[in-house]
Amino acid sequence: MLNIGPRIYLATLLASVTVARAAEPSPIGMALIPDGVYHPFFLAQNDLKDVPVKGFWLDIVPVTNGDFLAFVRANAQWRRSQVKRIFADDAYLKNWMDDLDPGTNAPAHAPVAFVSWFAAKACAQWKGKRLPTAAEWEYAASAGPTRKDGENDAGFKRQVLEWYSKPAPARLPPVGTTRANFWGIHDLHGLVWEWVADFNTAMVTGDARGDTGLNRQLFCGAGAQGARDVENYPAFMRYGFRSSLRADYCIHNLGFRCAKDL
Amino acid sequence: MMPRTNILGAALALLIAGAGNAAEARPASCCAPTALSATTNFTDKSLYQSDSKWMTDTGKRIKLGELKGKVQVVAMFFANCQYACPIIVNDMKRIEAALSADQRANIGFTLVSFDTKRDTPAALAAYRLAHALPANHWTLLHGEPDDLLELAALLGAQFKEDANGQFAHSNVITVLNAQGEIVYQQLGLNQGIMETVRILRQLAAK
Repeated sequence: MLNIGPRIYLATLLASVTVARAAEPSPIGMALIPDGVYHPFFLAQNDLKDVPVKGFWLDIVPVTNGDFLAFVRANAQWRRSQVKRIFADDAYLKNWMDDLDPGTNAPAHAPVAFVSWFAAKACAQWKGKRLPTAAEWEYAASAGPTRKDGENDAGFKRQVLEWYSKPAPARLPPVGTTRANFWGIHDLHGLVWEWVADFNTAMVTGDARGDTGLNRQLFCGAGAQGARDVENYPAFMRYGFRSSLRADYCIHNLGFRCAKDL
Repeated sequence: MMPRTNILGAALALLIAGAGNAAEARPASCCAPTALSATTNFTDKSLYQSDSKWMTDTGKRIKLGELKGKVQVVAMFFANCQYACPIIVNDMKRIEAALSADQRANIGFTLVSFDTKRDTPAALAAYRLAHALPANHWTLLHGEPDDLLELAALLGAQFKEDANGQFAHSNVITVLNAQGEIVYQQLGLNQGIMETVRILRQLAAK
């Protein structure tokens, strides 16, 4: 019986440690993605096979029209009529009614789209956040609803593929309606494509001979030899999509969400 | 680069007006200043709108806007490059050599390194010396990763570091007019410099 005291003490200590960790304030609307390893889908000859991803916070849902309205209210230079052309093409916020009125085509709780990389980056920065890297995004998005290794969940893979095969609806549905993944994150698949911080490092040819090699490597049959999982069509599409973007593009089904360092 | 229209496919589906539930916007969570300032003297399409910060090989901190006033020939590179960068830099030197002294007085050459770790201002100074890049026409810039991503985005260039510390990258030489707007891009290696030279002569004559 002499041992009980220390045991209880130890248990209390452990419990308090656990509580202290759990009590770490999580930023509102964000979930923790713990340390992990991202297995790049596409490997050039000299690429790292496994990229360690440090733990980070990720927005649970994409940035909405409502969120973005608050941003443009506070930052006049990002309003549709005032944005500099170098930072956003002429489709910028094209589904909004007016500078400060998203209107009925861009409901407050639907994800913001028609935003350029520059605008997404500035908005994230204004919120005290940043855009996730491609490695972070892909790592978070590889989790299925019940397990972190979604690649081993046939049902999850099928659902993702189904979404990729459907065109985006003219009016985007609200955020947060798709099932949360293992980390509690919604809409990584099934709503909009999302900007990442380093979209322009997504794909270049291993030998740097020119830009056109990109698409050849990706889309020609032989190019598939560089792919980790040739049946992972959604990853092919995401990589192809990212490498086709320019930072000023504003597209109807391309939005963003923010990340934050721990 | 794949034409945008291929990707968009369904983009033409126009937005249908309908009953919306445009609710009140949620208030801002916080208010960090944005990177890009609203009041600048630069044109709408000027790269000099960028707020990114750089350091020259002489250790001077600058913003891109300080390059305003001269036509600029810009390329991204890294000093340890074994393959493409020497060709790019050599192309730029050939371009410089093809210009008259008068034209050169109005044209700057700017190299920006991808390699934030190794290409310190001192390493760039050594590169300048090794490649005999004249101090009065050539600017060599070191930057932070975020700023490099942004500049690459502005130039439409892609780059990626591989496991060996080499960078795969687009091969682009960009001509900016005195306002910092892209007027021409020489894409790929060994494309010949004459079109670039022709455009520079025109711009320098203005």
